[in-house]
Amino acid sequence: MDPKTNSIIKIEDLHKSYGQEEVLKGVSMEIAEREVVILVGPSGTGKSTLLRCINQLTTPDSGHVWVRDVELTDPKTNIDLARQHIGMVFQSFNLFNHLTALDNVMLGLIHVLKQDKEAAREKAMLELERVGLANKHMNYPGQLSGGQKQRVAIARSLAMEPVVMLFDEPTSALDPELIGEVLVVMKDLALEGMTMLCVTHEIGFARDVSTRIVFMEHGNIVEQGPPSKILNNPSLERTKQFLGKISDLH
Amino acid sequence: MDYITYLSIAIPKLFAGLLISFKVTFVSLGIGLLIGVPAAFARVYGPKWMKNLVIAFIEVIRGTPALVQLFLVYYGLPQFGVTFSALTSAYIALGLNSGAYQTEYFRGAIQAISSGQMEAARSIGMTRMQAIRLVILPQAFRLVIPAWSNEVVSMIKISSILYLVAVPEMMTVARELYARYFNPFQTYITVGVVYLIIISIITYLLGSIEKKMKIPGMELDKRSMQ
Repeated sequence: MDPKTNSIIKIEDLHKSYGQEEVLKGVSMEIAEREVVILVGPSGTGKSTLLRCINQLTTPDSGHVWVRDVELTDPKTNIDLARQHIGMVFQSFNLFNHLTALDNVMLGLIHVLKQDKEAAREKAMLELERVGLANKHMNYPGQLSGGQKQRVAIARSLAMEPVVMLFDEPTSALDPELIGEVLVVMKDLALEGMTMLCVTHEIGFARDVSTRIVFMEHGNIVEQGPPSKILNNPSLERTKQFLGKISDLH
Repeated sequence: MDYITYLSIAIPKLFAGLLISFKVTFVSLGIGLLIGVPAAFARVYGPKWMKNLVIAFIEVIRGTPALVQLFLVYYGLPQFGVTFSALTSAYIALGLNSGAYQTEYFRGAIQAISSGQMEAARSIGMTRMQAIRLVILPQAFRLVIPAWSNEVVSMIKISSILYLVAVPEMMTVARELYARYFNPFQTYITVGVVYLIIISIITYLLGSIEKKMKIPGMELDKRSMQ
């Protein structure tokens, strides 16, 4: 199988079980450059697992994942090298607690990309500016609000110049009034042409910026399509039901 | 002889003994640190056989008195032709002893750090060793300070068992003093007070290091997470 050249992510027949429970039952999908794909579905249907199987934070039981034509599921692939350019944003931010916002962004530049300190500092400040937090660069994570933490986390990923950004419920741990500032950053990113795969229940965000919505249930993709189709006129009753439920909440 | 006169004779001698107690304590703590940090990482991140090896080591050391460990090294090993001086035996036995406890303290500290820290580090392309060195270890060292203070204090006190293998530490000196002046009460009260003062000072120092090393905002963060 030869992946298309403009495909950033290609997933083929991915399976993952935890004990008796099969979380992914042979998922396949492809994401092209500049696509913004939203993964939705009830909790426990494998959305996060699918995301984590892409950069191999979770090892799939079987199946294949390519990012930019490099097969990450191939044991011969240097996974550390591959991960350098796959940005990941976590629900719980996971900023390095002992470092300032600036050092959080600089750490990977210095130790992974081997940039010198000055260049790294400059780049890191640029990324913090991009998420609107240059003035907080000396703050430690404990001195930032949840929304600010998540924006620093996004800056940390962006500094590595990723070819794709994976968002694992980036706003689920935030107080409602802090969600907006994170979504604004994500929206800007989408408009700049970043390829994105987001697990999120933010339907408004999906409507405004996504190119495709993928509905997952019980470890399978059950329906997918452009947001206008999925949100307004889904083919399956199940999709309609689910989206109705989460729309009520938002 | 009044107590003041006695003190003027006893204190210099006790301090000479105390210096040896210190030496044993800090060398043992150092050996313990060299064992404890890698062993703790092996215990948390290592393969199963390594975990089991570390667990077995900890159980054996913690399940037996330090005195038994010291006697095994000092009296037991010569039976197989391996002879160490009393001081070297002390370093080995107490170093291993402290190593087991420090492994547990560091394990606790490492496990208190959320797994998300490691994941975030790996997600930007760090190797596991880089993540440990740059992200986990700096946080673990801070978290371990309170437990580590206990270890310092208990090692200072445990070093008194070296009296039983005739290393001239403070208790050995005390024994000589009281044999000469026949005043066990004054002697051991003095020794007790010296230990108390020294341990108070060390506890205070480690407490201020802990404060100084505290990550800004972390306390606040913990409270908001509860």
